[in-house]
Amino acid sequence: MISYISICIKINEMTYFVSVINTVDTSHEDMIHDAQMDYYGTRLATCSSDRSVKIFDVKNGGQILVADLRGHEGPVWQVAWAHPMYGNILASCSYDRKVIIWKEENGTWDKMYEYTGHDSSVNSVCWGPYDFGLFLACGSSDGAISVLTCSGDGHWDIKKINNAHTIGCNAVSWAPAVVPGSLIEQPTGQKPNYIKRFVSGGCDNLVKLWKEEDGQWKEDQKLEAHSDWVRDVGWAPSIGLPTSTIASCSRDGRVFIWTCDDPAGNTWTAKLLHKFNDAVWHVSWSITGKILAVSGGDNKVTLWKESVDGQWACISDVNKGQGAVTSITDSQQNEQ
Amino acid sequence: SPLVSSGFRRKMRVKEILRAATQAWSPAPQHPTYLALGTAAQQLDASFNTSSALEIFEMDFADTSLDMKLRGTLPTSNRFHSLIWVAFDPEGSSGRLIGGSESGSVTVFSPDAILCAGEDAVIGQSHKHTGPVRALDYNRFQSNLVASGASDSEIYIWDLNSFSNPMTPGTKSQPAEDVSVVAWNSQVQHILASANPSGKAIVWDLRKNEPIIKISDHSNRMHCSGMLWHPEVATQLLLASEDDRLPVIQMWDLRFATSPLKVLESHTRGVLSISWSQADPELLLSSGKDNRILCWNPNTGEVIYELPTANQWCFDVQWCPRNPALLSAASFDGRISVYSVMGGRLQQRSDPFGTGQALPPLQVPQPSEETVIVPPLKKPPKWVRRPVGASFAFGGKLVTFENPTAAAQQQPIARQVQVSQVTTETEFLQRSAELQAALQSGSFTSFCHDKIRSAPSDAEQDIWRFLTVNFEDEARVKFLRLLGFSKDELQRKVSHLNTALNITNHYRIFRTITDTDGLISQALLVGNFEGAVDLCLNDGRYAEAILLSISGGEELLKKTQQHYLQRQTNMVTQNWRDIVQSCELDNWKEALAALLTYANPEEFAPLCDTLGSRLQAGGTEKRCLQACLCFICSGNIERLVECWTSQRDCSSPLALEDLVEKVMVLRKSIERLRSGEVCVQSSALTERLVQYSSILASQGSLTSALRYLPDCPDQVHTLIHIYTVYSDIRSEPLVYRIYNMHGPSSETWFKPFAQSGPLGAPMGFMSGPSMPCSPPGPMMPAPPPPGFISPTSLPGGPVPLFPAAPHAQAPAPPPAGAYPPLGAGYPQGGPGAPGAKSFSAGILPPPTGTCRHQEEPLNTAVSHICLPENYTPPAPITAPVMGFPAEAPGPQDRVQVPPGAPQEPSIQSLQQLPAEHVEQKEIPAEHMILKTTFSSLVQRCQLAAADPLYQRLPASGLPDPRTVSSPKPSQNLHNQPMFPPSNHS
Repeated sequence: MISYISICIKINEMTYFVSVINTVDTSHEDMIHDAQMDYYGTRLATCSSDRSVKIFDVKNGGQILVADLRGHEGPVWQVAWAHPMYGNILASCSYDRKVIIWKEENGTWDKMYEYTGHDSSVNSVCWGPYDFGLFLACGSSDGAISVLTCSGDGHWDIKKINNAHTIGCNAVSWAPAVVPGSLIEQPTGQKPNYIKRFVSGGCDNLVKLWKEEDGQWKEDQKLEAHSDWVRDVGWAPSIGLPTSTIASCSRDGRVFIWTCDDPAGNTWTAKLLHKFNDAVWHVSWSITGKILAVSGGDNKVTLWKESVDGQWACISDVNKGQGAVTSITDSQQNEQ
Repeated sequence: SPLVSSGFRRKMRVKEILRAATQAWSPAPQHPTYLALGTAAQQLDASFNTSSALEIFEMDFADTSLDMKLRGTLPTSNRFHSLIWVAFDPEGSSGRLIGGSESGSVTVFSPDAILCAGEDAVIGQSHKHTGPVRALDYNRFQSNLVASGASDSEIYIWDLNSFSNPMTPGTKSQPAEDVSVVAWNSQVQHILASANPSGKAIVWDLRKNEPIIKISDHSNRMHCSGMLWHPEVATQLLLASEDDRLPVIQMWDLRFATSPLKVLESHTRGVLSISWSQADPELLLSSGKDNRILCWNPNTGEVIYELPTANQWCFDVQWCPRNPALLSAASFDGRISVYSVMGGRLQQRSDPFGTGQALPPLQVPQPSEETVIVPPLKKPPKWVRRPVGASFAFGGKLVTFENPTAAAQQQPIARQVQVSQVTTETEFLQRSAELQAALQSGSFTSFCHDKIRSAPSDAEQDIWRFLTVNFEDEARVKFLRLLGFSKDELQRKVSHLNTALNITNHYRIFRTITDTDGLISQALLVGNFEGAVDLCLNDGRYAEAILLSISGGEELLKKTQQHYLQRQTNMVTQNWRDIVQSCELDNWKEALAALLTYANPEEFAPLCDTLGSRLQAGGTEKRCLQACLCFICSGNIERLVECWTSQRDCSSPLALEDLVEKVMVLRKSIERLRSGEVCVQSSALTERLVQYSSILASQGSLTSALRYLPDCPDQVHTLIHIYTVYSDIRSEPLVYRIYNMHGPSSETWFKPFAQSGPLGAPMGFMSGPSMPCSPPGPMMPAPPPPGFISPTSLPGGPVPLFPAAPHAQAPAPPPAGAYPPLGAGYPQGGPGAPGAKSFSAGILPPPTGTCRHQEEPLNTAVSHICLPENYTPPAPITAPVMGFPAEAPGPQDRVQVPPGAPQEPSIQSLQQLPAEHVEQKEIPAEHMILKTTFSSLVQRCQLAAADPLYQRLPASGLPDPRTVSSPKPSQNLHNQPMFPPSNHS
């Protein structure tokens, strides 16, 4: 069944490789819905419809099951690692309407906090920039978005945005801590006036931007381009340029790249990255913010890179073959 | 009002409108999503209004209100028993609406025309049916095919492309009765089923035009209100019974059509309507006379959801084809509601502040609304189960997973997650690996030669040539050659000079070689000595100027001498700073050559830098490249980086690689000279190296990345550092506990950024200057002054970077040995030091007077010029020069020779000179300059013949006796002052 072709595409005389360096057998008993590496790339957290969250040590290409976290009563949709400065903390969200924050203490993982404030499936969790504390956004099918902030004494403050997305919110993603362009404009050593912002996508086909003002969350922008549920949104890491970039993907098969050059953050323009034949489920930016991984409903993962002229080009279909991957050249590719 | 209560369930009830209507969703591809409502037949409201209409409403989900937006209305003559919306799309329209009326008509509408209130809303109408048309369905494979069923067992197949002539699927079934449902098979396109209120279902094969199977459970209590084919299994269908005595849904499999495969029993009264989700075959909706709307998993028979709906029968439920979480329900209380099955809070009518406090119910008693929270479907629907994902992680890793399709789930599946390395910069990585290999193996020369070979431009090639020279012997000469003072070049100049000399004597015609040369020649041809001299002076050719001025008369000679002396003051006083600061940028080569030849070691690097700075300030790319060469000579890595980056965008990985290669090689060459490691504390370089490391890390080359990081107290720190650079996050001086990737999971506590500066100081690309450099890393033993390697630290010689390596580190052959014929050198930098151009090289006349040009004829125009055997400079020119006093190269001149310069041989040769040439005594002191100039001219000749001469040198490196007994004063420009023989240092 699983037979894939490794494709290595040459664009502008550049060659791109995707090679499997480790295959982790999770032993999940049902569908896997998310897999995330920790900050250092040494631990892998997975979650599944089998209601479990697993943590693996994947150092040096190995796999050691560190924890099998049980606590959810439904499929677990997403996991998110907090920044290590707060310890080893993982958040998970589930169809059971709960968000569980897990923490490792003395080598043992336990529930640190359980949030049950949503009335429906919690589809997405995302930790905010660590510079500004330990806080988590959660998007739910009940249409609401919650922002949980750890106040330090084990207590969590909850702020909830009701009716953020009609029919449901599918994804949340925080803006990077660095205000676009601030690296250029800000004098060294001066802390930028960071406004907490995040983006969300929902079943109302909308991408919405939210910002905190006087402790209240306000809808900042409403981006319309998709014609079906927005499945995922991803705010690109800042690379110091005065541009904010957001990727959004939808059941309509479209992936849009939203950019905003305006310092006030009011003018967003959409560029269609690609229209896929199937629903698109997930987008993920590389740490350098230059490559976008797009996961589609047809089990395909493609990597995209912006060329010099601003066009997005697919640089690779990610190989999922078993074992090591060999890249093939143009000529070999033509032979196939 | 019922609408008031709707506010209770705003999270479940998405839209609502008061209509007693038959409904049809727009097809899945349609955006925005519409709901068409046709006035329902056999339902009257309290006003007994008998008008009818077909309305189209838009579902605007971005609008959080419950309102549907009316987008089009078409009054109709008949009310609707049935209504379908077909994705029939011949011209990219939004399809067709087809209505079955109580009068027996089947009407085809254009939704587009209704939406824009156009006139041609009715596309076709047929009255073939004799009774109310209750059944309509469209073919999943050929959307132009529509089946209709009416009373008297009538079934017609309509082709929307030629609507007027319907077919029949076969002979009418007997006894004649109403057709309550028709349904096309979802998997086989020519299979159609029909069902009667009596409970009988017939499956028709349209190819055979006959019924192929009849289904009946013989209970006679099935009253078919609904029939649906399985979305994925061709042989399975559902029958719903509206009989209160048998309120069930039966699942039949035609492979065993004697009794139902499964019976779904939960309704307490008759089932009025069923709808099978096309997005998830495990979701079946049913509505019953018991006021309930249930959602089943038809495969297990389990009720997985109950919509807490109204206290009214719902006679029609339909999944929204486009938005799989939504369904619409038409109830007999005259309401059309759109619900979400994703659950939500019921009695939360107005809770904008999220307090979670439920408001009391307005309508009592409503048992179903006592539940505060309605959970979503027990079984998560397929459309929320993410099947695939790919997320990036640190170091260019990509974590991916996927889930096999349902068909493949029969056998056990390995639930795997794959970690991949994404490499986007393959060329970069390859070059980086090559550089790394060179750095480790020390094979810099071959590395440089490879670079020279593959250099994309001349400029690039020049830079690599210069870098290469640092690793080679006789570097100084090679530098000079690279600057264009090559053998060939000199030969050309010499031959031209000779030509000029000959012309001076014989007025021979010669050919233009360069522009200036041409002008000079022309001036000479017309006998305009003054003009020629001016040209020479302007061009810095003082020697020629003086020689020519001799022929031009006493006055001209005097003037020229004056001019020359003025210009050469700098030379005389060795004010190199003035020279590099004031020379024409076009003469940078000469200036650099002069520095290479004469500059005091302590001053050399700063002087080179000054020259480089001037070139860099020139601003053009060409000048900057020239500046880079200067900085390579001076070994100023910081300035090299600065200059290089000023002209080139180094943000791209390959551009950065270009720079790093040069820097690393230059650094290695300095280290080679110094026999020790070199630390360059340069913010520009640090910034670039951090960037470089980041790219390496992003491509998964963490080990390599670590090598380039300027400060790495430990590797973990570095990784964090890289990461921080990546994410451009501002650091906080917090203590992190992290796991050391490279140790056996040892925990390390450290303060990664604490030392980097003030709290919250920006880190990363922009933070070069504030980069923590305090703990010297393994690569940076001690921070010397930026970009400059202290000459004093150089063992064995004062030369900084400058190509003295072999001589500094190992006993070198004395310069006299290396250039024996030049051994009788002239005191460098003395009053007779030549102008910028003369620095090109020192050449002695062939000691034996042999004509060196015979073997190497130049261009055709001058090839006939061959100096005679026992060559001596032409008499008319030499005579005055020889008349100068011989004491010219006084001790004062020698004092100015840079320390370590090879003075000894020069002195020796000078001491021998008088013995050979009596005329020298006649040279007056004030003409010594001319003598020097002449010597320089002679040197050119010498250089022209350099190679053969060298070949004949004794291997011992001792001065050739013929040189020692040279009849002419000579200047050994080849004996680099910067390049002391080991016995001098």
